[in-house]
Amino acid sequence: MSHRLNIEPLGVEVEVEDGQTILDAALRHGIYLPHACGHGLCGTCKIQVLSGEVDIGNANPFALMDFEREEGKALACCATLCDDTVIEADIDEEPDARVIPIHDFSGTVSAVWNLTPTIKGVRIALNEPLEFQAGQYMLFHIPGLGETRAFSIANSPAEVERSGEIELNVRLVPGGAGTTYIHERLKVGDTVEVTGPYGRFFVRKSARMPMIFMAGGSGLSSCRSMIRDLLEEGCDLPITLVYGQRNRAELYYHEELRRLAEDVPNFTYVPALSEERGEHEDAFGGFVHEAAAQHFGGMFAGHKAYLCGPPLMIEACVTALMKGRLFERDIYFEKFISAADVQRLRSPLFKKI
Amino acid sequence: MDTRVEKKKLSLRERYHLMTRGLGWEPTYQPTEKVFPFTAYEGIKIHDWDKWEDPFRLTMDAYWKYQGEKEKKLYAVIDAFAQNNGFLSLTDARYLNAIKIFIQGVTPLEYYAHRGFAFAGRHFRGEGLRVACQMQSLDELRHTQTELHSISVYNKFFNGFHNPLHWFDRVWYLSVPKSFFEDANSSGPFEFLTAISFSFEYVLTNLLFVPFMSGAAYNGDLSTVTFGFSAQSDESRHMTLGIECIKFMLEQDPDNVPIVQRWIDKWFWRGYRVLTLVGMMMDYMLPKRVMSWREAWEIYGEQNGGALFQDLGRYGIREPAGFRDACDGKDHISHQAWLTFYTYDPVAAFHTWVPSDAELDWLSAKYPESFDRYYRPRLLYLREQQAAGTPVANKNLPLLCNVCQIPMFFTEPGDPRRICYRESVYEGERYHFCSDHCKSIFDHEPEKYVQSWLPVHQIYQGNCFKPGTDPTAPGFDPIKAVLDYYEINNGRDNLWYDNSEDRRNFEAWTAEARGN
Repeated sequence: MSHRLNIEPLGVEVEVEDGQTILDAALRHGIYLPHACGHGLCGTCKIQVLSGEVDIGNANPFALMDFEREEGKALACCATLCDDTVIEADIDEEPDARVIPIHDFSGTVSAVWNLTPTIKGVRIALNEPLEFQAGQYMLFHIPGLGETRAFSIANSPAEVERSGEIELNVRLVPGGAGTTYIHERLKVGDTVEVTGPYGRFFVRKSARMPMIFMAGGSGLSSCRSMIRDLLEEGCDLPITLVYGQRNRAELYYHEELRRLAEDVPNFTYVPALSEERGEHEDAFGGFVHEAAAQHFGGMFAGHKAYLCGPPLMIEACVTALMKGRLFERDIYFEKFISAADVQRLRSPLFKKI
Repeated sequence: MDTRVEKKKLSLRERYHLMTRGLGWEPTYQPTEKVFPFTAYEGIKIHDWDKWEDPFRLTMDAYWKYQGEKEKKLYAVIDAFAQNNGFLSLTDARYLNAIKIFIQGVTPLEYYAHRGFAFAGRHFRGEGLRVACQMQSLDELRHTQTELHSISVYNKFFNGFHNPLHWFDRVWYLSVPKSFFEDANSSGPFEFLTAISFSFEYVLTNLLFVPFMSGAAYNGDLSTVTFGFSAQSDESRHMTLGIECIKFMLEQDPDNVPIVQRWIDKWFWRGYRVLTLVGMMMDYMLPKRVMSWREAWEIYGEQNGGALFQDLGRYGIREPAGFRDACDGKDHISHQAWLTFYTYDPVAAFHTWVPSDAELDWLSAKYPESFDRYYRPRLLYLREQQAAGTPVANKNLPLLCNVCQIPMFFTEPGDPRRICYRESVYEGERYHFCSDHCKSIFDHEPEKYVQSWLPVHQIYQGNCFKPGTDPTAPGFDPIKAVLDYYEINNGRDNLWYDNSEDRRNFEAWTAEARGN
């Protein structure tokens, strides 16, 4: 049976399966714990157990000394849980992160509409108030499938509070059971279950630095929520949204964003269309990272960058940002770790990007 | 009732920060450039030393406590191993020749690293970096000492262990690791960290440490294995120091990128050349083998290195210039080195041999593309000559590469039948190199490498005889005179394993221990 693991100083709670190591559970929830050898020899992933009980597993006696075992230290890469446990790990505290408990909500679909030929907007009226940080996502329980799908909340926390509704933007994944259900069968009045809020993708407001948002596909949703949240709070720092789709028909919320840029002096909107190069006067022809490089003259230093979109877009944007002298400490995106990511051989050069 | 008390405790990171970052100060009665003369002269531009991210958070007080405990454990095992004649449970005494190479060629490098990190810690700005270098400096001194103690148990029973530090400064093949590290130690602090912490400890360490320590585990050498465990928890700290240093330089200024690239090109190749000795050890010297050099290269070099250089690409760094040629060499270098050492065994302080039939078959299976075609016939010829009582010994001294100092036995990339020769002329003198990459290292800094102390040149110049030796005396034997200067016991430390005292003793002692 699984146990709950609370990771200090983040205050984040994750579920750990039987036999699953603390390190594995943390990484799969997008929480980076320092680690190196991965099998109990080097001691890089040492943690302090504050309460609960762990099995220290196969920790080498030189990597975890006797006196450390007595002090309640363990190695995250080989420790498993015997009980609900609280640990303290060597990780950065995020002054802007809020600890919001995860809840199950039930809701009623109040609107379903076409945003683009491939993306639907869904609004769900929740049965109780939802607290979340702009950028976080919910798990949507697909009826009859016994599975969930993750969708970022597209409206701002203040708007959710006012309306009692969350907005999700759902792109149809060809052959995908979850998104096919939402596109073909979900209708107004349906009762649905959602769980959340999840994720550690949020604006580092306390940094007080100009911001670049880079969004592609249905990844606009979290960026839109974050930008709306900032503007509603009266943020006066420069905010730039570089937003890309393949073609004009897919460029949903284009008019809204264009008007917003006209009304708000510190907000700049840079649309990009990758398949319609040179066809539109009011949009850059090319990919998001190319549009951003052109708009900023190839130099991104001095910003915080928030990315949301398909993996290839993220990869291209990270490369472009680093080429423009913006590095890991100033780049953020939600990391959905898929089975393929775990397989892929990565160097320990980067922690999260 | 159950009110949650607001936490007053500092986080691990804050605690570490307070115990290191406050330690520095700005000099007032001397200009900063005079106090830290080496931080700028390499051309590396640093704008904000506080952007250095501490790769690990170990404070000095915790460091002492932790290392003290580790010593206690290690020395308990070393004592038990010695008291119980642990050497009798080795797979075979041939294994010890790998350990001879380790104590002769690797242990002295730990001491050089101790000095190098002490220098770097003194000359860097920024407390985070200075504390990290200071701790590593202490680690390296401790590794020197614990390696000597772990391995010294064999000195009581076997040859080739009695004078490693004397040999390190004199013997021809040991000039390979020695010149490698002296090159690093005579660099500035940033190049030193790129050379040792990044290129060696991070990119190539798995190819050095894993084969030796797994080799020890596979062959019953509990003493060395335990040393390995006690060092590994330090090694991971050392690797992360290298990674942080590279990121720090690359992020601080775009002008640093080409400098770092050149260093990576250079130090990747320098380290790779030193690892030739490790490849030979893996393929020939372990009675029970761990994996082949080729397999180790494919995992640690090609896969892990490939992933690293893909990630570094984001900074504008490409894979090292010699990477493709290093991959090309994986089928050859270990065999070429062993054949060379075999024929020069009369002047080496360890034993070589021709592998058994079963071992030759293992090599054929591991090297389907090269072994039977290029190397098995030559080994069989050596065996034949040895059986006939005329073992093949090379009495001429080899031409050495002026940079890596390895004899010129490496072949052309893509053509294992042709020796690779390169040369450059500098101020009227001709210099020889084993490869394009050693040549390019020389061409970039010829003033440095014209000073190379090349053992073969030194012998020919008469600098490797004991005082009072008369080379004009009738019957003068230069080889014997050089061995005398090296303090290698002729007939005991050198020559082939089959007729060695090591072999006779090991067989007699194990027979006694296992029989009645």
